[in-house]
Amino acid sequence: MTRKRILNVLHKEWAVMATSLNNVLFVTLLPLLITAQALLFVWLVPRFAGESLLQGALEKLRAALPSLEGLPAEEQFQVLLLQQFNFYLLLIPVMIAIGFATFNIVEEKQTRTLEPLLATPVWTWELLLGKALSGAIPALLITWACTGLFLLGVVSLGWGDLLGFILTPSWFVVLFLLVPAVAVLSFLLGVVGSSRAADPKSAQNIAILIVVPVLALIGVQVAGLVWFTPLLVLVLALGVWVVDLLMLRVAVHLFRRETIVVEWR
Amino acid sequence: MTLIETHELTKRFGGRTAVEGLTLDVKEGEVLGLLGPNGAGKTTTIRMLTGIIAPTSGYAVVAGRRTDGEVEELHEHIGLLPEAPGFYERLSARRNLEYFARFYSNLQVNAQVEKYLKLMGLWERRDDRVGTFSKGMKQRLVLARALLHEPKVLFLDEPTAGLDPEAACEVRELIGQLREEGRTILLSTHNLSEAEELCDRIALLRTRLVALDTPEGLRRRLFRRRVMVRLEGIEDAIVEAARGLDFVLSLKCDGDRLIVELADPERERPELVTRLVEAGGRVLEVFEERHSLEEVYLSLMEEQR
Repeated sequence: MTRKRILNVLHKEWAVMATSLNNVLFVTLLPLLITAQALLFVWLVPRFAGESLLQGALEKLRAALPSLEGLPAEEQFQVLLLQQFNFYLLLIPVMIAIGFATFNIVEEKQTRTLEPLLATPVWTWELLLGKALSGAIPALLITWACTGLFLLGVVSLGWGDLLGFILTPSWFVVLFLLVPAVAVLSFLLGVVGSSRAADPKSAQNIAILIVVPVLALIGVQVAGLVWFTPLLVLVLALGVWVVDLLMLRVAVHLFRRETIVVEWR
Repeated sequence: MTLIETHELTKRFGGRTAVEGLTLDVKEGEVLGLLGPNGAGKTTTIRMLTGIIAPTSGYAVVAGRRTDGEVEELHEHIGLLPEAPGFYERLSARRNLEYFARFYSNLQVNAQVEKYLKLMGLWERRDDRVGTFSKGMKQRLVLARALLHEPKVLFLDEPTAGLDPEAACEVRELIGQLREEGRTILLSTHNLSEAEELCDRIALLRTRLVALDTPEGLRRRLFRRRVMVRLEGIEDAIVEAARGLDFVLSLKCDGDRLIVELADPERERPELVTRLVEAGGRVLEVFEERHSLEEVYLSLMEEQR
């Protein structure tokens, strides 16, 4: 029965989401824009900025990938930029999961559907999980699809030879451990933001704070302060999962029947 | 069989007491009206009885289950019409009902949804978005949602609030049908005539339980029963004849009417009329003055101030 109820929530969330053109465009166009922007960035930067710009990061990259030494300087620079996409793509699950969480929960608050829902035999954790999956599944699938598109773009732009330097173990740890962790964290922040906000925009303003550490990840790596080795990325992903567990406790607390009915306004 | 039972049910939100020491019971097939001013604790009581919020102290048993226990089991047996309709406005009426219906175990979802959409006269509009519905249609849809799983007990929180007179009348008729079917209903309302029309008993609430009785019982508790006798003319002999009856509690003249207070009008009225006729009175009309439930309500609430 639990599985049936969770799927029921999941299907309803998608059905509601599909009724709004704005939401559909948000979920489909935004990831495409992020992907296209990354490719454009890799194409433009070497043309308008010298490799001296990111010298510190390049040195760290060369230390991490010694075989890079055999490549021309411009290609090394491109590899450095392409490598940033693994963190840059974290913006996709962040945006989608926050979008789903804030839209779905704030909409329930605005239309006051939670009270009749809480009078059915559904458990609040089933409701929360159904909602989380409704945001996390598209966030993951779209992120992975955009990664595929990005790699396709890399090949199409004639940088196929560099794929071996891009698809490092760090990439896979990011894709399969960090992206899900960030999607869950974004969703949970969306729940927390939604419980305190009266409309989706206010909720997103609270939840969008997660973008700051994501941008910081790119910043510290590009500035050459830290180079994220596979081990470091693994530690980072596990750290985010720990934060997820803590945030889950907060979200479950906020998602209790009485709290929803009495305190959510 | 008692289907709703509360024992010293109390709810406090921080320092504010919403409901205090509420003890009442509702039998199977009974319709209990919950009356009280805004902030009297009606909605809080319904939320406690439906297991949505937990009492601070005391307890309630609904359909044989504690409301502070595993409420998911309780929810299989109760239906709720909340203050606000609460629908996904961009989904169709049918999709909304299907969503709620799928949370119940062993329910023939499609058949039940069709049954209640037809019963509420919404079948033709089943695929229309709920956002396009009038308030009255939404309220009928809420009733359909509350009934989908054939609950033993129904909680209706101000079902006609905000509706135009025609829509309110339609909803009242539907509730009347449910009453005739023998459903057990707890109905919270501000509409006193609605309460009188639909409820077997009335609980007056003002944080605490002020009174609990049938509408007639409440009237009798507060007001003596008065019989009006309209005569062709009132002479002293007629008045004296009436005064001479030992069961007459008080008597006064008002134009062509005698206003007589009686303890038991059903038994005493024939004898009163006989005595008036014997005294030469020509009786044109005899009727009992009935105090409205509104008078009863206002009087009881005044006592609480």
